[in-house]
Amino acid sequence: MSNYIKSFLFAAVLSLVCGSLLTLASTGLKEYQLENIELDKHKNILKSVGLLNGEDAVSQETVEQLYSENIGQIWINVDGKIVPEQRKGKNDLQVYLFSQQGKIQAYIIPIHSRGLWGKISGYMAIKNDGATISGFTVYSHQETPGLGGEIEKKWFQKNFQGKKILDDQGNFVAIAIAKGSVKERIPESRQKNFVDGISGASMTGKFLSAGLKQTLTEYEPFSERFRKNEIK
Amino acid sequence: MKITKTKAFNVFFKPIWESNPISGQILGICSALAVTVQLKTAVVMGLALTLVLAFSNLSISLMRKFIPRNIRIIIELTVIATLVILTDQVLKAFLYDISKQLSIFVGLIITNCIILGRAETYALGNPPFLSLLDGIGNGLGYSQILITVAVIREFFGAGKFFGFQVIPDTFYAAGYENMGLMVLAPGAFIAIGLIVWLQKTVSKE
Repeated sequence: MSNYIKSFLFAAVLSLVCGSLLTLASTGLKEYQLENIELDKHKNILKSVGLLNGEDAVSQETVEQLYSENIGQIWINVDGKIVPEQRKGKNDLQVYLFSQQGKIQAYIIPIHSRGLWGKISGYMAIKNDGATISGFTVYSHQETPGLGGEIEKKWFQKNFQGKKILDDQGNFVAIAIAKGSVKERIPESRQKNFVDGISGASMTGKFLSAGLKQTLTEYEPFSERFRKNEIK
Repeated sequence: MKITKTKAFNVFFKPIWESNPISGQILGICSALAVTVQLKTAVVMGLALTLVLAFSNLSISLMRKFIPRNIRIIIELTVIATLVILTDQVLKAFLYDISKQLSIFVGLIITNCIILGRAETYALGNPPFLSLLDGIGNGLGYSQILITVAVIREFFGAGKFFGFQVIPDTFYAAGYENMGLMVLAPGAFIAIGLIVWLQKTVSKE
């Protein structure tokens, strides 16, 4: 009997010690971690519109300064109309605007897609013509490093630049990830709606394509207003 | 007495080559497959594992006289898990970019057989200082194999070394192609198999 009590006591004390250590670390470091996550998001937004190249090391101050000078945040409803933040409903969507000299250069859409192993989060920036992609970035994902994980790499993301979300007839088709190389797999007229796939990661590409299509469809009314020049 | 004959020396150096956890005991293969596509992640993973292994061996050895036998595995795992989560939290707070690259693999150190293996077979029966050495030695042995495999895979799979292109563009122009197999898991199996073969041949009992 005393053995059981001893085991129980030991387990209880150890759990208490380990638990307090972890709580301490978690609460003590939370501030730094949240700061890192926020900074990383800002970095990604700036990367998507080409203000940062994602390779050179930049200080936190530079990122925050660039961000506050160029990026603004708005909410839109399902018809693509801007709603004031305090009156936003739960179906309203978040958009970031990249403006210079009082003119909108691009709008940035937060992307949340399913991946093969978990959620993929990132940003897609579309130029003020409402059709040309200015950049795509990923800040959080659970894909296999070296395979699906390549979605966070520059070589994959830079293929999005200059691609269109419209086909030749001007119909909305979104953007998709090809299975393999675009040049070999996709007919000439559709090549501008596809980016090169990642070898060994067809599933990641499939899920991300679906996620992009869904998100871009939700934002389509807003994009359309840009195409009709209703927003400047 | 020569330094190479002392117990501490043996405890530290044996696992690096002779009884290496990966190539000698075939432990911890799972992560050796996963993080060895690139050298950079392999190095950080090796460091993180060495750190966790050293401290888990040390703390378990310090408690070895009090740990009740019937719940020792649970105790060991609790200590290991705590250390791993602490490492992960610290990485996330101060080395956010590297922690993003390692993603889930830091968390997976908990399930690495080497750590539980060393706790069970060594730290539970030996004094703290030797256990610490054993932990560092095994960690370095693991890192050494990881780095070797990563060098092979990154070179043949991507033509790179530590992220720098080493195979010149003229080779590619002449028709050379990267081995896609090396980027995938079978590449790691083949590389580890070759290392095991080499090691068994060199250090014949």
